[in-house]
Amino acid sequence: MSSLSSKSAQQLTDLLDDYGIKHGPVVDSTRSLYERKLKEVMAKGKKVKPSSDQTYYREEEEEVTYVYRTPVKSDGSGDSRSYLRSRPEWTAGEHETSYSSYPRSQPEYRGRSDANEPYMYDTPSTYRASYLKATPPKMVPEAPQTPKSSRLIPLWVQFVFFLAVAVFLYIVFSSMEMNEPLKGIK
Amino acid sequence: MSTTSQKHRDFVGEPMGDKHVTALSGIGVVLGKQLEDQGFDKAYVVLGQFLLLKKDTEMFSDWLKDVTGANSRQSGTCAQCLKEWCDAFL
Repeated sequence: MSSLSSKSAQQLTDLLDDYGIKHGPVVDSTRSLYERKLKEVMAKGKKVKPSSDQTYYREEEEEVTYVYRTPVKSDGSGDSRSYLRSRPEWTAGEHETSYSSYPRSQPEYRGRSDANEPYMYDTPSTYRASYLKATPPKMVPEAPQTPKSSRLIPLWVQFVFFLAVAVFLYIVFSSMEMNEPLKGIK
Repeated sequence: MSTTSQKHRDFVGEPMGDKHVTALSGIGVVLGKQLEDQGFDKAYVVLGQFLLLKKDTEMFSDWLKDVTGANSRQSGTCAQCLKEWCDAFL
């Protein structure tokens, strides 16, 4: 490994660009700083190449597309047609509900919006029917969960959380069915 | 009310002119002496270094830590001070 201090300013500039380090001109006062930065990055190995920003962004993109694909895979049997139907509608952005702004990142938010949408304009019976159909397919995606992308919260935790929220909403909504026996509110 | 110090507000509120390096927010007597020894006796010289580093606060913070032994808080404050001055006057 050749010494960084023996390299010319142009060579240092090229190295900095290779590692995607944002930098200014390599002059006397900045040289030692850039040499130190390069040393750190080279010690870390060539993991930083190319620019880390792009890698991060790509990962995020991957995450998003993967999340979209999962329920489609599980719904391949043609089951829960209403669930499938509500998805492309939502992606097309047909309805102006506030929930459409939710899902840009987390699957639990996405699931939440999907659970709430039928609630918004379907009749209670259809909602329950479509919801019941929707719950079993949720269990399936947990099995073909092979590609392990790095997540802050493990995927199974997200699914469990989503299920908990879904069950909670179901309880809340089903309790709304029995409006008559409610005492005191007349 | 912002969370900046009076020193910060004093510096950022007007052109720095010939102010001494200790006028910079985050730079006290000790750090000021360190910088002076390196030739950075005026605030505008430190500004020059900040500009050479393309106004990148992180990079400048690292440089300041390197050169003076400042801690993260001091260097961060100084970088932020210079950045805001640049936003206002540069």
